[in-house]
Amino acid sequence: MLFGEEGQERLKDATIFIAGAGGLGSPISIYLAVAGAGRLILVDKDTVERTNLNRQILHHDRDIGRKKTASAEERLRAINPDIAVEVVDTTIDETNVHELVGDADGIVDAMDNFPTRYLLNRIALEKKIPLFHGAIRGLYGQATTVLPGKTACLQCTFPHPPPKEVFPVVGVTPGFIGMVQATEVVKYLVGTGELLANRLLLWDGERAVVEEVTLEQNPSCEVCGGKNQHGDAP
Amino acid sequence: MKVTLRFFARFGELLGKDRVVDAPENTSLADLVRSAASQNSEGYGSIFDGQGKFRDFVIVMRNGKRVSVAVADRTTLSEGDEVAVFPPVAGG
Repeated sequence: MLFGEEGQERLKDATIFIAGAGGLGSPISIYLAVAGAGRLILVDKDTVERTNLNRQILHHDRDIGRKKTASAEERLRAINPDIAVEVVDTTIDETNVHELVGDADGIVDAMDNFPTRYLLNRIALEKKIPLFHGAIRGLYGQATTVLPGKTACLQCTFPHPPPKEVFPVVGVTPGFIGMVQATEVVKYLVGTGELLANRLLLWDGERAVVEEVTLEQNPSCEVCGGKNQHGDAP
Repeated sequence: MKVTLRFFARFGELLGKDRVVDAPENTSLADLVRSAASQNSEGYGSIFDGQGKFRDFVIVMRNGKRVSVAVADRTTLSEGDEVAVFPPVAGG
């Protein structure tokens, strides 16, 4: 086995907070469940709609109209009854994010908007736990791993959000980016491989090309500027 | 001098993805992108505002390293440089 019994134990002892049970959150939570990540906390406020089903593989046709947390919990428990699955039907905001993340070992960004991503970034820095970022549009995607005290934070990399829009999504794209994020989580937890630290992976599904760009901390970042590099929470 | 210009994601769809540009010496990074983007008004408008400044969310890289859009007008290019321009994506 690639990371042996010790690695599997580390997975079993881990708590991972997954923000969103949609296009990214579905494949990520499924693969973390089958990998044996011991405790998954999944947060989403939405109800399953038919248009979700091209990518949100936690939810099936018969779940239309149900809360995503309900179908997600049912599915993940069926997939792996040996792990703890906690679902929270709420919107992540300033008032609840601290408590929701709790003592998690990592935060998975499976959101669909930058304001919540910035909030997750801030809480990751505050709690000194990694943030596994992913985002998609159409056939394009991006992913990076924020390690507080070591790498550029999300706000360093994306100081301003792109304009709001209704995203076109080809269902396989969040599957691809979600697998990159889940791979990062597993590597981080078992302590193997090289993380996407200070590296932004760009997926061009149209041409089937993966690119990578180097990231740097922004010394004038309004969230971590200067402080993050010394490992101090802002 | 020859420089490579690459537009990613939505920008690439509107403007074409990769090209090698024969640019005059001392061309600024911003001028290179403006010139190439001007071929398509929607593409130009997605990258630049009405004053011809980079929109604040646009990410510009030179040889794999980030260049702040605030200094793109003062950043002159050299032979063989590779410039990449892309928008963050936000969906999930």
